[in-house]
Amino acid sequence: MVDQPMHPNKSFRRAISHLLTRTPKCAVALLISTLLASFALSACTSPDLENETISVYSREDGSGTRGAFASLFGLETKLNGKTVDTITPSAVVTNSTAVMMTSVASDPAAIGYISYGSLNDTVKALAIDGVVPTTESIKDKSYKVFRAFSLVTDEPIDDIDTADETQTLKADFMRFVASAEGQAIIEEAHFVGAVDDPVNYDRAPASMRPSGKLVIAGSSSVAGVMEKLAEAYEQLNPDASIEVQQSDSTTGIAMVGAHTCDIGMISRDLTQSEQDSGIVATPLAFDGIAVIVNPNLPLDDMTSQEVARIFSGDITTFGELPSWQQSVNQTNPNGA
Amino acid sequence: MRQTSFKEGAAHVCFTAAAALSIVAVALICVFLFANGIPALAEIGLPEFLFGQTWKPTADEFGIFPMIIGSIYVTVGAIIVGVPTGIFTAIFLSRFASSGVARILRPGIELLAGIPSVVYGFFALMVLVPLIRTTLPGNGFSLLAAALILGIMILPTIITVSKNALDAVPKSYYEGALALGATHERAVFRIMVPAAFSGIMAAVVLGIGRALGETMAVVMVAGNQPIIPESIFSGVRTLTANIVLEMGYAADLHKEALVATGVVLFVLVMLISLLFAAIKKRGELS
Repeated sequence: MVDQPMHPNKSFRRAISHLLTRTPKCAVALLISTLLASFALSACTSPDLENETISVYSREDGSGTRGAFASLFGLETKLNGKTVDTITPSAVVTNSTAVMMTSVASDPAAIGYISYGSLNDTVKALAIDGVVPTTESIKDKSYKVFRAFSLVTDEPIDDIDTADETQTLKADFMRFVASAEGQAIIEEAHFVGAVDDPVNYDRAPASMRPSGKLVIAGSSSVAGVMEKLAEAYEQLNPDASIEVQQSDSTTGIAMVGAHTCDIGMISRDLTQSEQDSGIVATPLAFDGIAVIVNPNLPLDDMTSQEVARIFSGDITTFGELPSWQQSVNQTNPNGA
Repeated sequence: MRQTSFKEGAAHVCFTAAAALSIVAVALICVFLFANGIPALAEIGLPEFLFGQTWKPTADEFGIFPMIIGSIYVTVGAIIVGVPTGIFTAIFLSRFASSGVARILRPGIELLAGIPSVVYGFFALMVLVPLIRTTLPGNGFSLLAAALILGIMILPTIITVSKNALDAVPKSYYEGALALGATHERAVFRIMVPAAFSGIMAAVVLGIGRALGETMAVVMVAGNQPIIPESIFSGVRTLTANIVLEMGYAADLHKEALVATGVVLFVLVMLISLLFAAIKKRGELS
């Protein structure tokens, strides 16, 4: 190295070697030992999981998923004459399903909840009271944790004036989503149709097919399946064009109120003031809510009471759960 | 002659319109914020809103005190992480780095400024949060994670503005110090840095403004609990996080309360801008 001719980057190399020789050796040692310690700690988290504080992950106040979750697990109370949830304020709050899933997938002591439609195998869905969430168990209502998706309009569908092109299209589209064909698309997307005995879609003869443009806006939880519905409808009625805009439930309702969209999509219930303003909701589908944990958690089943006690902050470690004690005894009969 | 005056006039109108546009935008934002926020403030009550400890919008309890404290904690944390690092980097770049090192460092810092904040957030979510979770108490979503990532995010602002301030110090100061027998280090730290002090302070204030207003990265890693954090390992919710978290589903008074949160943030940022102007003025006077 010393005999090499002058190199253009010589000054840079000199700076680097200067930096290396000047860095105190103890700093390097400290860095290495910190890294080792962190690996040692992460390796021994599993046996200690029993006594580790459970990390509770929740959605933001006002979110449809949160509201449904709280009311289904009885995490509600009356305050100032209003129904409020009792989810512990020390829960980590996120407003995105993606962040929720990433956090639960990487945190061994995590518990959270997401829409059943978004579930994948990076996380594990717990069975609640012995019932595993599946499309079937949500449909036959044996899995009790689900919420409704609805479409909102500024007037009841039956009152729609059929003389107007857009209004006719709107009424026909609403009939389509409630038909057997529409409900089948909803079930393909892992949701459960809200119409009990759907009739077949009564497609108009070619000369009388609805045309024009329909704008549907609102909750991003509903928008994915709505795009599929719109696509199928456009194939049946080539003259019609349906535009799906995703934002959120509140924006969707506001847009219906302001007549900037024709149909709104919501994943929460209408508030009193929204109902008073004449907005009407029509149920579209049911969405199961899965309680999720880290895939490595040695627990597959919880009672709804246990979930409620964890989310209200009553239970803070897995060791306190009766079902944890049970599953530990099962896997290790000699253990305490 | 007439041709020129016509061109002159047209250009004048164009430039005035461009300048007016930004003023109009700021004015409209002001009007919107205050028109929507003030009624909510009146309904909730200013003391209850600013000093209320509970944020439970579903129960009509709108106290943003934990969020104000949260914003201040996170910003202070970002300053502790970012300001010394940023200023030392600026000094190094301006007075110590050889041209080879600077050639690598400067584009690196420019790149740091160009990374979108959601990417910073994602990095912190995937790297910082698990690292804190495995090495330190808590589940990783913490004041510490938010402060660390914000500290990194304000670096480009602090480095660039401080370096410009240092470069603007007349060369004669440095030469004078050397002529009086000072070493290179002594000349830089005792003469150059104090001479650039107001510029460096401006850099810090700009960094504070950036940290206070940052939303996306913070929302992803701070935990967002609406309570005053007990330690740097507890979660924290900032004013910006409060708005962006709940805006999607908020209605009625809740929505107005979020706009009012925006008003509080706006006033805070405005105070910081005033501070910036004051520091700049002092610098110009001295």
